[in-house]
Amino acid sequence: MATSLEIRNLHVRTEEREILRGVDLVVRKGELHALMGPNGSGKSTLANTIMGHPGYEVTDGEILVDGENITELPPHERAKLGLFLAFQYPVAIPGVSVANFLRLAINAQREEPIKVKEFGQQLRHAVELLDVDEGFTSRHLNDGFSGGEKKRAEVLQMAMLRPQIAVLDETDSGLDIDALRTVAEGVKKLHGEQGLGALIITHYQRILEYVRPEFVHIMMDGRIVMNGGNELVERLEKEGYDRIREEVAASA
Amino acid sequence: MPDATGAPGSAPDAASRPAATRKPGSPPEATLNAALAGRGAGGAPLAVLRERARAAYDALELPRWRRSGFWQTSFQELDLDALAPIAHAPDPRLPEILAGARSAGVLVQRDACVVHVELDDELAQRGVILCSLEQAAAQHTELFERYYLRRLPLDRHKLEAASAAFWSGGAFLYVPPGLHIEHPFQIVYEISDGGSAQYAHTLAIGDRGSELRLREYDVATGEVAADALHAGQFELYLEDGARCRLAQLTDWGEGAVSDCSTSVVEVGRDAYCHWLPALLGGHLIRHHYELVVAGQGGDMAFRGVLFSQAHEHLDVFAVDLHETGPSGGDVHWRGAATGSSRASFEGLIQINPGAQRTHTYLQFHSMMLSDAAKLDAIPSVLVSADDVSASHGGTVGELDEMLIFYMQTRGLTRPQAVKVIVEGFFEPLIVQLDDPPLEQQIRDRIGVKLAAASDDIERYALAR
Ligand SMILES: Nc1ncnc2c1ncn2[C@@H]1O[C@H](COP(=O)(O)OP(=O)(O)OP(=O)(O)O)[C@@H](O)[C@H]1O
Ligand SMILES: [Mg+2]
Repeated sequence: MATSLEIRNLHVRTEEREILRGVDLVVRKGELHALMGPNGSGKSTLANTIMGHPGYEVTDGEILVDGENITELPPHERAKLGLFLAFQYPVAIPGVSVANFLRLAINAQREEPIKVKEFGQQLRHAVELLDVDEGFTSRHLNDGFSGGEKKRAEVLQMAMLRPQIAVLDETDSGLDIDALRTVAEGVKKLHGEQGLGALIITHYQRILEYVRPEFVHIMMDGRIVMNGGNELVERLEKEGYDRIREEVAASA
Repeated sequence: MPDATGAPGSAPDAASRPAATRKPGSPPEATLNAALAGRGAGGAPLAVLRERARAAYDALELPRWRRSGFWQTSFQELDLDALAPIAHAPDPRLPEILAGARSAGVLVQRDACVVHVELDDELAQRGVILCSLEQAAAQHTELFERYYLRRLPLDRHKLEAASAAFWSGGAFLYVPPGLHIEHPFQIVYEISDGGSAQYAHTLAIGDRGSELRLREYDVATGEVAADALHAGQFELYLEDGARCRLAQLTDWGEGAVSDCSTSVVEVGRDAYCHWLPALLGGHLIRHHYELVVAGQGGDMAFRGVLFSQAHEHLDVFAVDLHETGPSGGDVHWRGAATGSSRASFEGLIQINPGAQRTHTYLQFHSMMLSDAAKLDAIPSVLVSADDVSASHGGTVGELDEMLIFYMQTRGLTRPQAVKVIVEGFFEPLIVQLDDPPLEQQIRDRIGVKLAAASDDIERYALAR
């Protein structure tokens, strides 16, 4: 099971062009990281590539889990190592209820199918954590869900699948204040209880105020250009990306 | 305690066996799709109808339906000389497919003979009849003649005529007025071996205000390596206020079974039918389904599931016919195709003059799982009344790679993810069956078909 996720000099391209141009980053189990950066800088590309999206080609560099290169592993093997991605744009699975999908996903990672009772307990626990209605888990996954419901469903899945290291891609976007607090508290709780490590991709300070990550990274044009702590978030909030861009250009 | 009533029928003797008649010369005209529109041949004694059918059989060619230059459904390759009815002794065992099911009654026809009939004692006392159609013709002649071929013709093509002329065994179900029956009646047609010619006929009646569930299974029990034929006719009459949930599961497996059948359901005044045929396997299948709303206030939900694989050829013509209004209709079919299979769904809404205030909708959704497969949807609407709403819609889908990736990140393998997508695609129809054991059977069968096609599906995904 993953205790560290290390990204080394990662270069990624799509059919059209190179998007990631040498990303270096280490996330360990139990650590909370924030990844910020302007639109189109490559954050989601990084998230998807970590999970093995077939549309992104790794042309150079490595993704290591506990020192093992996983760049060739199919996505489901990465999930089995304990990696998870909460999608920026979760897709709907018509005809499959949240509960049934979770049961499939949990069983996919076990030898013996999970006992009905144990599954029920875990599901109730997760439902309480995410503060959703009882009926939520019998609805078809993401089918007709509001933006906020989709994001909750992502975190609900995370709570059930218990990954070691998760990437949360703008899980805070589209949430109202209450939902944001619920989701942030959920993440904190999983961090506290299960030692979840997380890379939280966001544009907003608010979720970070709740979660208080120890590490903050800023991505621009396919590279991580700055690493720091919470003070970076405040700086960004005040100054915006332009100042940072200038600074990076000057020091290059 | 269920008691075994109804003597198993005997196979037709050699003298009345169909002889092949294929005329040399130019190929016959293709048969065009049209609604039966009440063209029933019935109303005469069985012997007369059989004779008429036999004459039609002798005169007609094996059928072929042609839709365009490259797409046709043809039974003209079929060698009727190589096929014969196969006789069986009574069999007290229930077929495997019914294991664990609770039934109001069961009738099993193996090849040419009814081998097993059981009917709940209490229901029998209350006037329910479940027996072979042969027995019904002999013992319940009045009922039989009132309904037999009321809506079904016998002379549109050679296989229809063969079925009407040569059927043996057969199933007859009668539910008296006002009776509500919780558990389903189950009728099973089995083909056990290559060379079998099964001419099948089911006649079922839900009398006024009755309520019933009926399931028909068309299955192969052995490995059918050589050609076999099922030419079936099915008729269900729902009198005023009757309600029925009807499911027909056709799965001839991977063997060489050809199936050319017609099923008709008549919905009377204020009656209702929820009908779901599931076509899940067969070498060559042509099935004409017709749901006739014949009485004011009649309503129906006509669902269908089809899944073709490998070299299967599946041709469905489904008619939603309204003879009077106000009436309601809701036709919703879904199909998937893998391998190099050919499947076609032609759906027709026909609203006759005078069927005012009819509201109906026809939709077909397809999912392509192979670039070598073909799956056509051909909806049409024929309206002869002005105060109606009738329309159709549908979608053509492929596997969504984003969806597969999403599920993979949750730990599912690619084939598992594909399975979830395809099951989810059919689920909205399956869940409406409101019949968990049957639902599970259909899901399981879809799962098996998917597993068999998984290499194919992979190749298709990689090629895109
Ligand atoms: N599959 C793809 N095909 C082509 N271009 C892509 C693809 N995915 C991403 N891109 C492009 O790569 C760049 C980075 O996109 P990405 O989604 O990673 O940015 P992001 O940092 O997540 O942005 P946002 O903050 O808006 O979510 C963009 O210019 C985008 O258009
Ligand atoms: Mg993004």
